[in-house]
Amino acid sequence: MSEFSVIGRRLPKVNAWAHLTGQARYADDLFLPRMLYGRLLRATRPHARIRRLDVTRALAHPGVVAIVTGADMPEKMGIMPSTQDETALAVDKVRYVGEPVAAIAATDEDAAFDALSLIDVDYEDLEPIFTIEEALEREDVKIHDTSKRANVFKEVHLSFGDLEAGFAAADHVRDDWFFFEGNTHAPIETHSAVASYGADDKLTLWTATQVPHYLHRELEKVLGLPRSRIRVVATPNGGAFGGKSDPFAHEFAAALLSLRTGRPVKFTLDREEVFYAHRGRHPVKMRIRTGVKKDGEITAVHYQSFLDGGAYASYGIATTYYTGALLTVTYRIPAYKFDGVRVYTNKPPCGPKRGHGTTQPRYGFECQLDKIAVDLGLDPLEYRKRILQPPNSRTVNELRITSMGLGECLDALQRATKFSEKHGQLPRGKGIGIAGSAYISGAGLPIYWNEMPHSGAEIRIDRGGGVTVMCGTSEIGQGSDMVLASVTAEALGVLPEDVHVVSGDTSLAPVDLGSYSSRVTFMAGNATKDAAMKLRALVVEAAAEKLGVPAERLLTAYRRVYDHDDPSKFVTFTDAAVLAESRHGTLVAAGSYKPPKGIGGTFKGAGVGPSPAYSYQATVAEVSVDVETGTLTVDKLTTAHDCGRALNPANVEGQVEGSAYMGYGEIVVEEQVFRGGLHKKPSLLDYKLPTSLDTPALEAIVVESVDAEGPFGAKEAGEGPLNPVIPAIANAVYDAIGVRFDETPITAEKILDALGLRDNRRVTKDRIGPDGLGDGKADPKRALRRLGATTDARERKTVGGLRPPAPD
Amino acid sequence: MTVLAGGTDLMVELNFGRRRPEHIVAIDRVGELAGIERNGHVRMGAGVTYTRMLADAGSQALAEAARTIGSPQIRNAGTIGGNLGTASPAGDTLPVLAALEATVVLRSKAGERRVPFADYMTGPKKSVRRADELIVAAEWDEAGPAQTYMFVSTRNAMAISIAGLAMVVDRARKRVGIGLGSCGPTIIRPADAEGFARGLFDEAGWERPHRPSESAAKELGRLVAAAARPIDDVRGTAAYRRHALAVMGARALSRVAQIA
Ligand SMILES: Cc1cc2nc3c(=O)[nH]c(=O)nc-3n(C[C@H](O)[C@H](O)[C@H](O)COP(=O)(O)OP(=O)(O)OC[C@H]3O[C@@H](n4cnc5c(N)ncnc54)[C@H](O)[C@@H]3O)c2cc1C
Repeated sequence: MSEFSVIGRRLPKVNAWAHLTGQARYADDLFLPRMLYGRLLRATRPHARIRRLDVTRALAHPGVVAIVTGADMPEKMGIMPSTQDETALAVDKVRYVGEPVAAIAATDEDAAFDALSLIDVDYEDLEPIFTIEEALEREDVKIHDTSKRANVFKEVHLSFGDLEAGFAAADHVRDDWFFFEGNTHAPIETHSAVASYGADDKLTLWTATQVPHYLHRELEKVLGLPRSRIRVVATPNGGAFGGKSDPFAHEFAAALLSLRTGRPVKFTLDREEVFYAHRGRHPVKMRIRTGVKKDGEITAVHYQSFLDGGAYASYGIATTYYTGALLTVTYRIPAYKFDGVRVYTNKPPCGPKRGHGTTQPRYGFECQLDKIAVDLGLDPLEYRKRILQPPNSRTVNELRITSMGLGECLDALQRATKFSEKHGQLPRGKGIGIAGSAYISGAGLPIYWNEMPHSGAEIRIDRGGGVTVMCGTSEIGQGSDMVLASVTAEALGVLPEDVHVVSGDTSLAPVDLGSYSSRVTFMAGNATKDAAMKLRALVVEAAAEKLGVPAERLLTAYRRVYDHDDPSKFVTFTDAAVLAESRHGTLVAAGSYKPPKGIGGTFKGAGVGPSPAYSYQATVAEVSVDVETGTLTVDKLTTAHDCGRALNPANVEGQVEGSAYMGYGEIVVEEQVFRGGLHKKPSLLDYKLPTSLDTPALEAIVVESVDAEGPFGAKEAGEGPLNPVIPAIANAVYDAIGVRFDETPITAEKILDALGLRDNRRVTKDRIGPDGLGDGKADPKRALRRLGATTDARERKTVGGLRPPAPD
Repeated sequence: MTVLAGGTDLMVELNFGRRRPEHIVAIDRVGELAGIERNGHVRMGAGVTYTRMLADAGSQALAEAARTIGSPQIRNAGTIGGNLGTASPAGDTLPVLAALEATVVLRSKAGERRVPFADYMTGPKKSVRRADELIVAAEWDEAGPAQTYMFVSTRNAMAISIAGLAMVVDRARKRVGIGLGSCGPTIIRPADAEGFARGLFDEAGWERPHRPSESAAKELGRLVAAAARPIDDVRGTAAYRRHALAVMGARALSRVAQIA
């Protein structure tokens, strides 16, 4: 029998019924009396100066109540305090097609929409920049004046261990370029917000956001209204995947228009607008050089990434660091160098998408390991097992590793898929591939530098045995409300349905930093457990007195406090709570969590990468390639995932399967296509996501390494499982047809191209992918030479003390 | 006057502001347009939906085409009349109607016109239908089971075909029809490929199933591809379309020839 009564059971999520029956109230479901409807006017030019912006005609349009423009909110904002380069609405200049320029509030949606065309904007076109290469090279065109060199947003160089000695000791060195195409989150719910400013001089913003606390701070800054007069309520997000974790134009516009009109204002983006709001996966070109001994032992890795950031910073500084930070946590790497450059281009801003910044390098690195295995004649699964980073260790870049279940994941996959028997043995057109990965259970540092908890929770027990847990987390469909309810219920000995969850409300709940970086289960789980254990002590103490049994002998489960030695001796939870309240007064407790110190290094840039625990996972992909049409069919994806302990196995499996689905889409179909800065497919008909008919058979295997610091041993499950899917499929395609896909997506056209069937020239290729920087007008060699020069000049710098993740 | 049937094309146009008609007449509840009559000859009312075709289409290839269209919601609303009304080269039923040598029945206050499908489409989203004419039906002779529809696309549902191919072998009438979609301004009938296929059936015997040789299938594919006039667009390149047509032509022949 399990030691738990709630943890580990496949219970339905506490909010499942509301979601299933359509009762869940999303932001767009909110209707307030006298509410106005907002629309954003968006830029039609990729790069232009705004010469004149005249709203007179639009204001005269029947139904229009108010209009605001960039001039009304000139304060710089952005999610990362050190790189704020956005304004709520464009001021003076636009930097991508779709950038919000003005906002209208009207009595109905049609009036707002029609009035958009009555706003007169006079643009002076500037030369746009669309590629990484041009952005690196063009000193004469500046998307942001703040770029010191060309259009570079951020350049980082870190080096650990003796790289030269590492490469010198290698028997074999691989040097490969990869390109990861950009893609977007495509949550089913489009962004939506309702603002209401009342006679009490307080502003409430209900919004589909992953980060109510950070948004709260930005609203204060931009609106100039003290935070004490602003309340942000994160409504249930109908999917987010990182796409709702920046402060957005429509949120500020709703707030300001409500302040101006004294009426509630709603903005709901349409699907096309979501493609412009974006903040999705960065397109990344990368070069990876890896040295290995004959037996495959890694001696050195030099990883370089070039990120196409789009028009603004977003989380870009963290993304840049993340492309280099986590390569070291899976396999032993004694010497490691990382160079990263993120550039501005005139496209919608990129940001965090599930796997934030780690997905692209993981793809490249796991594909390269597969090549190394082939070069050395090693079984790719066995090979990975042999070079694992050990548990309870430090990586070369000083990350603390605790529980580490990648080896068990690989074993589980071998049992489930018979990988080693099949690999290299299947008929042409059939293939099997494997890849491993890891992810953080929350970032070790907050986005703004402070010593406060990362997560706080408050729990109250009422006189009827009900329990209310309040925590600032945002429920984005990932199951965070269920985690809060499960942890609370387990600790107190009640059931999740007895727990009322109040989340994502800056007035009612203590701060939690938000639903990003897979931090909620670990951090909010620990904060909640902390609060619940305090109340449990009071309840148990009261019951012990009543039963005449020592408190240590009492257990709590199924709404009872009972004697371990004689379960027939019990007090109901409600009675025990009443006794406890009689003695101690109102039963309220607060708990908090902050990651321990010393889990990362102290050098400049050490802020990104550390996490209190890492999840580990690996995927086996089985594919079929139609060698005549080039059609790639992924038959099955099996992922084993080490989540520490599965608080709810069904929820973990849901995350693993959802990740597999999303990763599959990224490598097989998804593609952001722009022409002249214009998004070519801003709709769900044209931007292809896999449908249920396309989705492969999915299997999730839960591996439990029980982390010593996680709540009941739990680690993350929401992001890591996406990463290995992508290289596993690329490696399986190689197994099927002998072609390396060093770029995504793997389309039928590219397969035909490799097979020599795309045209009549019949030239076959054993690899599809980039050979370096190129394509653009820029001279890639020069850009690289220059980068190489700065790389050598700036070796690792060590500074004292922990630094915020965005040091500069 | 603009007609609204299932609205799955028209509403998209309206929502994007590409069309602002003064008047719209909804015809989805006109029972006379929703019938299918079969007696060796098929008369499919313009209001017949794709969902309906899955159960009863009077043509195997048409049922296969209907199955590929959109999603259940689109299939519940979208009609064959709407596919003809839009007259997009990517319309999935149109290569089938071409291969069946169907007739489009148009009616106006001035009377009824019967237009062979080959004369119906005049360009991308252009047809000989006059503004005052209603499409009332499509008609064709039942051609037996040796027919199929194939397409390539970037996903298996909710996708506009990158290239589509219908092949109908009417063994009784000793006729081969091939229609190509998404690879030219209109639906293309590859005459050389049809002639070549007829020769194969003459040789093998029209009444018996046979397994065409690999070289024959390849040659048919080559002739199909040669007839296509594809372009590059966001969905696919011309070269890919041509190649896919060659593969589909070969496969369609192999499949259909084996059906008696
Ligand atoms: C998400 C989505 C997916 C789709 N997928 C596919 C697909 O896979 N394959 C495909 O071929 N199509 C697809 N379509 C397009 C569309 O569904 C089809 O073209 C459908 O057949 C249109 O039929 P309807 O009844 O909805 O036409 P409507 O939208 O009602 O009408 C279309 C046009 O035809 C005219 N019209 C309609 N009926 C008549 C009539 N009886 N007489 C004269 N004019 C008429 C209308 O005035 C209008 O101009 C898709 C559309 C959507 C929105």
